[in-house]
Amino acid sequence: MKKIKLIIMTLAIAFSIGGAFATAPRLPQDCQGATQYYFNGGYVLAGRLGVDYICVTPSSAVCTYYKVGSTYTPCMNGVYCTSNCRSSNPSPKKAKN
Amino acid sequence: MNKRQVVLESISALLIMLFLYASVSKILDFDRFIGEMNNQPFPNSWTPFLVWTVPSLEIAISLALIFERTRMVGFIASLVLMTLFTIYTGAILLHFFAYVPCSCGGVIRKLSWPQHLVFNLFFVALSVMGIILQRRSFFKSILITKNSFV
Repeated sequence: MKKIKLIIMTLAIAFSIGGAFATAPRLPQDCQGATQYYFNGGYVLAGRLGVDYICVTPSSAVCTYYKVGSTYTPCMNGVYCTSNCRSSNPSPKKAKN
Repeated sequence: MNKRQVVLESISALLIMLFLYASVSKILDFDRFIGEMNNQPFPNSWTPFLVWTVPSLEIAISLALIFERTRMVGFIASLVLMTLFTIYTGAILLHFFAYVPCSCGGVIRKLSWPQHLVFNLFFVALSVMGIILQRRSFFKSILITKNSFV
């Protein structure tokens, strides 16, 4: 009985830790690990997610982009927002420059 | 090993897989987890506390579920945590918050919010089943301990 229990627990631990490693994002493939930009006439550094901005969802708009070579590629969906984000009408950030 | 014990071991194994997978995923991608936690509708000042508390609790629950003596505590803690997650998911689905980010470990983050609710309810049900099934052997062990003192 104890042997069966040991096998079940060992398998559960091995699968969960192994699964976590197997599904962990590898940085070049994971856009959120890259520097984020937002589009406001030109591409501007977005800052830190949750600190400088949030992506208000649900929205099909592109919130942030990341750079692949010299191309800006869409990364996160939502409305790029830095103020009034928790209201029903979030306002996008104004360009810094 | 009787039927009840097999079911108990299976429930424990499923909950261990959930909590261990979720916590290790968060730790492996910690920067992203911090960002997603900041993106939640809580004050950002809570983030340093939550980013350590949530994975630590998940690991502690997994450990408690492994050992027979602490399993009951593990099931109760699992029920409390999963109920809190479920209430949070429900609040998001009811548009209690204006925006809906996700902060879940690994592939679980790919679930939509309604799928999340069903997923959470399933594990709440498993925790309740675990408590009911474990209760009998828990009280039995208390009785044995009491009798050994008499």
